Amino acid sequence: MALDDVSFELKSGEIFALLGPNGAGKTTTLRVLAGLIAPSSGTVHLDGVPMTPATSSQLRAHIGFLTEAPGLWDSLTVRQNLEVYARLYDLDSPRKAVDEALALFEIPDRAKDRPAELSKGLRQRVALARSLLHKPRLVLLDEPTANLDPESAREVRELVMGLRQQGRTVLLCTHNLDEVERVADRVAVLRTRLIAVGSPEALRQRLFAPRVRVTLRQLASTYEPLLRGAGLTDIRSDGTQMSVALNGTPLTTPDLVRRLVQAGADIEAVVQEEPPLEEVYLKLLHPEGGVQ
Amino acid sequence: MRRVWALVGKEFADQRQNLALFLPVLIVGIVAIAMPVVVAIVIPAVAGEKLSDSSDFEVALELYRDQPGLRGLNPEAAVQAFIFQYFSLMFMLIPITCAMSIAAYSIVGEKQARSLEPLLATPLTTMELLGAKVLSSLLPALLMTVACMGIYMLTILAFAQSGVIWAVLAPRTLAIVFVLGPLAGLAALQMAVCVSSRVNDARTAQQIGVTIILPVVGLFISQLMGAFRLTTPLMLVIAVVLVGLNAVLMAVAIRIFDRETILTRWK
Repeated sequence: MALDDVSFELKSGEIFALLGPNGAGKTTTLRVLAGLIAPSSGTVHLDGVPMTPATSSQLRAHIGFLTEAPGLWDSLTVRQNLEVYARLYDLDSPRKAVDEALALFEIPDRAKDRPAELSKGLRQRVALARSLLHKPRLVLLDEPTANLDPESAREVRELVMGLRQQGRTVLLCTHNLDEVERVADRVAVLRTRLIAVGSPEALRQRLFAPRVRVTLRQLASTYEPLLRGAGLTDIRSDGTQMSVALNGTPLTTPDLVRRLVQAGADIEAVVQEEPPLEEVYLKLLHPEGGVQ
Repeated sequence: MRRVWALVGKEFADQRQNLALFLPVLIVGIVAIAMPVVVAIVIPAVAGEKLSDSSDFEVALELYRDQPGLRGLNPEAAVQAFIFQYFSLMFMLIPITCAMSIAAYSIVGEKQARSLEPLLATPLTTMELLGAKVLSSLLPALLMTVACMGIYMLTILAFAQSGVIWAVLAPRTLAIVFVLGPLAGLAALQMAVCVSSRVNDARTAQQIGVTIILPVVGLFISQLMGAFRLTTPLMLVIAVVLVGLNAVLMAVAIRIFDRETILTRWK
């Protein structure tokens, strides 16, 4: 079974990232949402309308799907590629819609080129323009920055964030956790079943105790006994840095700083520690800590 | 229909970029036109003999003396008309070959370009998608048939004896070329669509789709051997069979063109 008991709701105007290992069912989820595959049980609703064989074609008119491969026709120019899709989406003025898309994605000068002549980044941009031609309410993006160089990936990310500003809902499927950290409002971790859903911050708080990292001029371990005496138990010292877990104690970050200063410590920096999303993701997938 | 024509337009652009698709039908067309000309005009001219003097064509003469359209012709013209009418069966192969090579490529081509998934994500229905694929293969096939038939008629007009063209331009010939041929072509391309939904390269689809040629060749040879004559009632039966076959193939094509199978199994 590719998917089992997967249920979530997308909010209007949010960027929602779907994470999971290979074979977790991310692409299948996108295909189900795009109306390409019918689930064996359960339903997809778009604005309250259930996706059925009868409504599928009509609902697909409100969905933009960027597939993993750009899938552009090399026999046609960029403009012709987009025009065919504008007609397939029954747009009133296909030429105008294509002109707007070319301008929005800053590729009007490549309109007469064939996709085979474009770089991967530009092809991806054309594919993205194609999936947004009809101004869909829901945008499904399958690995939009895979195989792109950092500059092209950044451009695509900016385009995706621009979609949120336009009030579109974006479902992003990716392995790039750094990208998710930058753009996603909420995250779902999937491994055939849905493991967790929430904002990156909420998932962090759920899985990791809040920690404070203090950088001193002196050796950090010197001050460990002082802090243990104040009731702190989870302290990790490494050279001039110490990481302290404050949860379960009455101490706050200012209390901690005050005590250290009173004990003669020279403090250079105090930061709230945030485990990277990668750690959150791995902990969700392997709660026992089996794989790191 | 707007969506269908949008996709048909794309298919035509694809075909213009891939003119090699028309090579098989060009060969079939040239053979269909050249063979009867060689048999009815070139060989007798080179040999310096009349076809009507040969005992091989006595049967033809007897047969065609009965036809009102041939009664006014001299014996040599009647034999020429017999040959040109007889070879018109070859024109059934033109729409079959053309439609099949285009249709097989058009579905497999989408697979190879990985362009089918974005296409299926549009409001296009399976019926519209298959309709566009069928139309974009059938229309060039019909155009090629008309063009080849036009050249055939001009060749007859130029090289055969006077009056032969009117004997060849009989309802029987026209029915073979413009009714049975397109129906057989439609069946061939629907077979190619069905097969190419399940295979990953155009050649396999064409090789399986080519089986529709076998009954046509069988008809041709059977007539040559004198096993039967392609009479009007027989043509009607063949047409009805082809219409039925097309209806079945259409239902099968829609049924096996399952989006889920295609998306999950096409690699």
